[in-house]
Formats: sequence, C-alpha cells, structure tokens
Amino acid sequence: MARLGMVVDLKRCVGCNACTVACKSENGTPPDIFFTKVLEQVAGQYPIVKKKFVPVLCNHCQDAPCVRVCPTGATHKLENGVVLVDYDKCIGCKACVVSCPYKNRALMPKGKLNGGHFKGYLTPFEQVKNKKFQEGVVVKCTFCNERVEQGLEPSCVNTCPAEARVFGDLHDPESKVSRLIRQRGGMQPMSEANTDPSVYYLE
Amino acid sequence: MAMAMQSTSLVGEEFVMGFRKQTVWSTWIALAFFFGKIGSGIFIFAVLLDLPLVALAGVLIENVGKGGALMVHLGRPERFWRAASRPSTSWIARTVWSMGIFTVISVIYLLLPAASPFLGFFKTIAIISAVVVAIVDGFVMNDSPAIPLWNSAMIPFLFLLYTLLSGTSIFLFLIKAGWVSANTLINFETLAITLLLLNLIGVAIYLLSILNTNAAARESLWLLIKGPYAAMFFLFVVVIGFVITLSLTLILANPGMLVVGLILLADLIGHFFIFYLILLAGVYAPVLGKLTI
Repeated sequence: MARLGMVVDLKRCVGCNACTVACKSENGTPPDIFFTKVLEQVAGQYPIVKKKFVPVLCNHCQDAPCVRVCPTGATHKLENGVVLVDYDKCIGCKACVVSCPYKNRALMPKGKLNGGHFKGYLTPFEQVKNKKFQEGVVVKCTFCNERVEQGLEPSCVNTCPAEARVFGDLHDPESKVSRLIRQRGGMQPMSEANTDPSVYYLE
Repeated sequence: MAMAMQSTSLVGEEFVMGFRKQTVWSTWIALAFFFGKIGSGIFIFAVLLDLPLVALAGVLIENVGKGGALMVHLGRPERFWRAASRPSTSWIARTVWSMGIFTVISVIYLLLPAASPFLGFFKTIAIISAVVVAIVDGFVMNDSPAIPLWNSAMIPFLFLLYTLLSGTSIFLFLIKAGWVSANTLINFETLAITLLLLNLIGVAIYLLSILNTNAAARESLWLLIKGPYAAMFFLFVVVIGFVITLSLTLILANPGMLVVGLILLADLIGHFFIFYLILLAGVYAPVLGKLTI
C-alpha cells in the first residue's frame, strides 16, 4: 500500500510563500487560517547573517498523536497514510490541537465563516469554498486529498517555483521522494516526538 | 537555574520560527478541572463521613460544574455524546466514561437504604470512582506530548493532591460553620496542614522537574515565574494559595469560622490559578532546531 509523503528541500525554498497562497486558493481557508505556511528563521548579527525558510504543514504522521487523542474518531488516517478530519464527527474539544507537536492544526471559530477577507462581505469564491467547512471544528491540511485522488499533486507542490516540495509514495523505493530521502539524508521534523511524520526535510 | 532561563523567543502567529503558546485550552478547561477536583473532593469526604446531602452536592458540582464548563468549551456541544466513542485511546473519552460511571454509582449509593447489605460495597466503589474522576483530568492534560509543561507524570498526582486538599478545606469550613458535625476520626485541621505542605512540595518538585525537561518546558517555566504570568503566579498561587493558607493554618491554633472561610477562599483561589496558569503557559517547541552560523 502506498504511503503518501512530501519532501521539502530547504536549500531550494526561497520563502516566496507561493505555496501558502496556492493552499489558500485551493482550500479557500478563511482569514488567519493556514494549512501551510513558510516560517523564517534568522541567525547571526549584521553583517554575518543567515536566513532560512522552513515550509510547514500537517506531517500526516504514521503514529499521529491527534488520531490517538481524538475522542470521537473524527481525526482518522486513510490507508495511504493521509490524516483527515471528519467535520461531521468533530466536537471541537481541541485535544488534537494540543497534542500535535507541530502546531499544524487550527480551530475554525464561531463566526469565522461569515467574516471573509473583506469584512462582512463574502466573495462568490468564499461563498462556495466556505460550504465545505464547519464552524467550531478543527481543520488542517489534507494533502489536497481531492486533487490526489484525481492523480494531481497537492496545490502547494504544483505551485512551488523552486521545486522545493516534492510529493510521492514513500513506500516506493524508486519514487522521487524516496530517492531524495535516501540520497540527501532526509530528516523528519522533531523525530524525538516518535510520530513518524510523512514530511521530510532536506538540508 | 543558569540553563536557558533567560529571555524568551516566544512568537505569535507571525511566520517566524520560535516557541509558540497554546491558546485553545484556557478558562473553560481550567474551570472544568477545578470543578472536577472540588466535586470529587467534597464527595469523597462526604461519603467517608456519611453525609448523603453533601455527597449529592459533590455529584452535582461534578456534573453541572465540570460538565457545564466542558460543554461551553466544545466547539460543537450538540455532539458531546460522540466524546464517549473511543475510550480505548482517548483520555477525553475516558473522562466522559468515568464521569458517567461515577454518577451512576454515586446515585445508586445515595439511594440505597441504610440497612442494605450492598451499602459498604457501593460506598467503596463510589469513593474509588470519585478518585478516578479526580485524576483522569490529570491524564487528559498529561497526554499532550506537544506541550512538555503538561506532559509530566506529576500532573495527575497534583490533581489528586488538590482534590483531597479542596475536600479537606471545604469540610473544615463546613464543620466550623456548624453545618456538618465533626467526625472525631478525621482531624481536618491536621489533614489540611499536611495536604498544604504536600501540595507545596509537589508543586516545587513539578516545577523543578520542568527545568530538566526541554527548551519548550523551560520557556513555559519562564512565562510562569518571570514572564507575563509571573505576577498572577506569585500573587494567586504562591502568596494567596500557599503563604496565606499555610500561615493562617499554622499560626492560629483554633481558628474561628471567619478565618477558616478565608483559608478556604485562599485555597480555592490558589487551586484554580495554578492549573489555569499551567494551561496558559503551555508552549510548543519549534519544528526545527535553532539556526546557527
């Protein structure tokens, strides 16, 4: 069985946040809710300064704490390793939010879907996209499950101009993600948390 | 104390790497934990002293206070019944089950006639279920590996200590006020002093153990004792919760009702704020380590 995963090449990422925008566009998340974003890190003092960009998203962990702590089974894992939230089952207890070591889950607060990006006015795009969300539940990256089912790549991967994000089957030794992890020593974020993330970083 | 107890690199929602505070579990969860411990504490001592009406009050505080606070906390309270679905892996589901079992057992115990042969059996399991309800919340908090401040084995133990202390303080007040008759088998004044000292030692050990956990835990500790929550921590938890309660209990040999009322109030304030502040000070570690040159 395939295990879908992603490799993020930190040497290639230029911090343009095109992935962030593509994700917002694909998923239509309301203001202040991001399924992926690019974090900046600066070290040193002028003139010797180094800056690194770290794209973050749900790691779709194989041993996901969010799946374990969910009291309703709303957070569940598909056979291909993708972790999803069933909005109809979620009660909004937020146990998954405080159990995710990567802080990659967000609550869709009450009233969030009425506001929109243009205070009090929902664009036709927002009206359509908001229909798939519910208020009071927890939301997160789905690895663009609907796109992947159609044989497409996640929107952030498709958009990245630097090809810093690569998506594929981690169980296939010949897939591009497997080869990159093997050749460049891909590392899982916070491996000490023992969650076995499906997102790897290359440095 | 020299290790990393310096200024914090805490960040908000901006797109930069750093330590981040949790913001989703706060007042309502703190209130649920508070009422959970108080309800259990009252129930345990009321059953030991054979005071069914006071025990009923404990059950009501547990269900209305804790249950109500949890319902308000939920994003979709109308689906609360789903929370019992997965007790095999989820401590929240176990909380729901333990509350349900506690309520059923305690109601059966309270309805049993005094001459019933099952009274002793139900009394025992009612007390056990109340202890379980008290500490299960500690495991809910403890089961968050993302937040090292909470992911400590001391948390469930502190829940048990605070449950016993709140029950003791409340009964000390009820006895002084003459609302319940004193039981010669339990010296509540001695018990209160012992539990206060045990709590003080427990909290100190917990905070010291946090120092040796990891950087995120030390950020949390910084928030508590030097950062934005330091004023509340020292005023409500240390001064009111420990110094005032211990001073009044130790200095005054036979305190009157007013003083015991003050001790109870101070104890409850300290009790609420310690867990409220521990919740607020929960910090996530950064996804990747610190960048160096």
